[in-house]
Amino acid sequence: MFRKFAAFGGCLALALLLAAALPSVALAAGPGTSAGTPTISVSIWQAALIAIGYYLANSPWLFGLAFFTLYRPLVAGLLVGVILGDPAQGTLVGAAINVPFLAFGSYGGTLPIDPGFAGWVGVTLALAGHLDPATAVSIAFGLGLLGTIIFYTRMALDSVFAHWADARAEKADIAGVALMNWLPGQAFLFVASFVPVFIFALNGPSAVQDVLNRLPLWGVNGLVIAGGILPAIGIALNMRFIFRGSAIPYFFIGFILMTASHGSMSLVVVAALGLALAYLHLSFVRRDSPAHAATAATTATGATGATGATGAMAIPGTEPALRLTRGDLIRSWALWTFFAHANYNYERLQGTGFAHAMTPIIKRLYSTEDEIRAALKRHLVFFNTEPNFGNVVHGTVIAMEEQRANGAAIDDDAINSVKSGLMGPMAGIGDTLSQNTITPILLALGIGIAGGQAGGTAVPTLSNAVGNPLGAILYTIAISVVIVAIGYTAWMQGYARGRSFVTEILRSGTIDRVLIGAGVLGNMVLGALAATFVVVNLAPTVNIAGAQMNLQAAIIDPLFPGALALGLVLMTWWLLRRQVSPLAILAAYLVISILAAYPFFGPGQKNAGDYSYQACTSSLLHQYSPCGAPPAPTAQLSPAPSVQP
Amino acid sequence: MSGGPGSSKRSATAPDECRRRAPVSLRLVRIDDRLIHGQVVASWLRAIGAQRIVIVDDATARDEFLREVLTLAAPEGVPVEVHDVASGAARCSELARTPEPVIVLARSPRTMLALRQAGVPIEVVDLGGMGAGPGRRRLHKTISVSPEEIRELRELEQLGTRVEIQIVADDRPISFRSLDSGN
Repeated sequence: MFRKFAAFGGCLALALLLAAALPSVALAAGPGTSAGTPTISVSIWQAALIAIGYYLANSPWLFGLAFFTLYRPLVAGLLVGVILGDPAQGTLVGAAINVPFLAFGSYGGTLPIDPGFAGWVGVTLALAGHLDPATAVSIAFGLGLLGTIIFYTRMALDSVFAHWADARAEKADIAGVALMNWLPGQAFLFVASFVPVFIFALNGPSAVQDVLNRLPLWGVNGLVIAGGILPAIGIALNMRFIFRGSAIPYFFIGFILMTASHGSMSLVVVAALGLALAYLHLSFVRRDSPAHAATAATTATGATGATGATGAMAIPGTEPALRLTRGDLIRSWALWTFFAHANYNYERLQGTGFAHAMTPIIKRLYSTEDEIRAALKRHLVFFNTEPNFGNVVHGTVIAMEEQRANGAAIDDDAINSVKSGLMGPMAGIGDTLSQNTITPILLALGIGIAGGQAGGTAVPTLSNAVGNPLGAILYTIAISVVIVAIGYTAWMQGYARGRSFVTEILRSGTIDRVLIGAGVLGNMVLGALAATFVVVNLAPTVNIAGAQMNLQAAIIDPLFPGALALGLVLMTWWLLRRQVSPLAILAAYLVISILAAYPFFGPGQKNAGDYSYQACTSSLLHQYSPCGAPPAPTAQLSPAPSVQP
Repeated sequence: MSGGPGSSKRSATAPDECRRRAPVSLRLVRIDDRLIHGQVVASWLRAIGAQRIVIVDDATARDEFLREVLTLAAPEGVPVEVHDVASGAARCSELARTPEPVIVLARSPRTMLALRQAGVPIEVVDLGGMGAGPGRRRLHKTISVSPEEIRELRELEQLGTRVEIQIVADDRPISFRSLDSGN
């Protein structure tokens, strides 16, 4: 499977880079010295910082939050921008690259695409190579597919380190198990992620620019057009989760708000409206689901016996001899939050991470070597859940361990069955909450803020927008607070109340209400984002009362602004629902974009400079705007050098 | 061969006809030791538009608490049923005759084999998650099997059910036979 992705990404990104590497070496033109091209300046130190950044995005060191923050192109864009000296443009490009990855999620050791690689490398190429953000979007998709190789190599190799942890457990070596969960895996990951990104960052920009300079202009334009079309895939993938039932109209409200205000409405305003509408929706349109309420009612009677609290505190009468302290619980939670995925591998997924998190508990509860060995081995087995909401499993298991250490008749089977029985359903809920709902909504908001400052023209485009780093910063803060809050609460409540907490929160319907409300808000924001980032510009003209008028500008847009973009998004969503593979759609859209830029109908061009205006009507689609007026030239808009060497 | 040669032939060809005329109701029949989790809820459920999840597992059916958790863990509007093998076989056969798209989940190949032997028309069994452990050999990524399970999966194939590995809906299915042949 990943070979297919990798091959595809390789074709797209590597070929683009390497094809141009030889000539530039032959000319002995070091970076930044070739005449006529804008200076490309990624120093060795900058490249190293960028490579470290990508490693950190995959690493456990940032309180386990890297996956939600540095791994996302929006945040990577800001940081690459800071490293390369242009935070605003970095954030803008990162935001643009992030849109197709909006629905990204990784479930149980699968990685469809690597947004981290796309973000860190893609923004570097764009900033240092002075690419149009839309071109960067096209290239970044290929990079994202290429990046999955790193993940899959690591998933395979880390299985070996799980066995090293087994050997330590056999010796009842608590610290050794903890060490094996992070040291070998992270050492490998550092090399595997640092080296390719360092090489790409150092050599990529000049190589990419070289290739772009050699492409015919319609090829370059095709990449820009694709940059406006590919975001439809990310938005449609996300719609698979939330564009349903009574929440559907809110998508159109969001879209129309944006187009009707010519893109001038702040995404924060859209989100505020979305929150208000979500409240109204929950209060008046959508009450508690009768189906769920009925289920809860029928099961409530029978289940009460099984839902007694498992926490040791709940044992009446006896004062347990071995008590876990609050510090033990917090240490254990922190170890999990940091290191759950430090040694993520195909064989056990989070298995060694679970054992690592249990080390403070084992230290406190067990003293003989046999007990310690047994406990370590008990928790080194296959385990995987969503690492935040899923923490109820850990809390419940810790409470059971505490009871067991105090002599309660809890055998390995009882603990294993709680782990293996709960980890799946909790992951189902947790992934729906964190990966499918909260992250994309906050990301969409951040992206909207980051890329929403249009440059004062009637039709804002990526090329004339000014990036706003605040979008990346606010997103980072918001997602971190939410994720940590969910993880901590689930852990502590799982410990204190165990199974009863699980059934209580599920029966209460709170999660359903959150998801329904988030669906309303998410649709609004997603609709607004579609209006901003999906760009389709028809080039052909029609004869109206003797005058040649652009079909889109004269007829379609006055009737329904953005109708083509909306149609594209809905068509993509429909294709996905027909189970067409996203990768097939991506390939088709890329080919169509480039074909649509080819001047089939009209004069080709001799000079690059006058193409975009004069040859405008000769292709099917046009970049930046419907033909009519040439786009205002800006520094970032010149992929082709005007001086021939 | 529980139902004689005639019935087994019919059940082997019936899914093909169904595929041409109408979508098969048992849209995803999956062996997954975590039953409902992120891959099932986030990827499969939406991708195939399933409206019901049927879990067949003796141990889970006996566990009041897990039964309730699983029932409540699926997204709103998707009912979850938990059955033991006996009632599960009857229920799956019944659902297979309705147009409603259904996901069937079981923990082990043994359960799946029992369903097949009880006459449930299963065209494809998907191996979605089978964890590693002592005595288990890794077949592909997160799919590990014991020698016992290999035998059971082969038996399923002999009964005319294709066995494939497809962890999430966007993956390309890999046939079990192609991975098993090197054994």
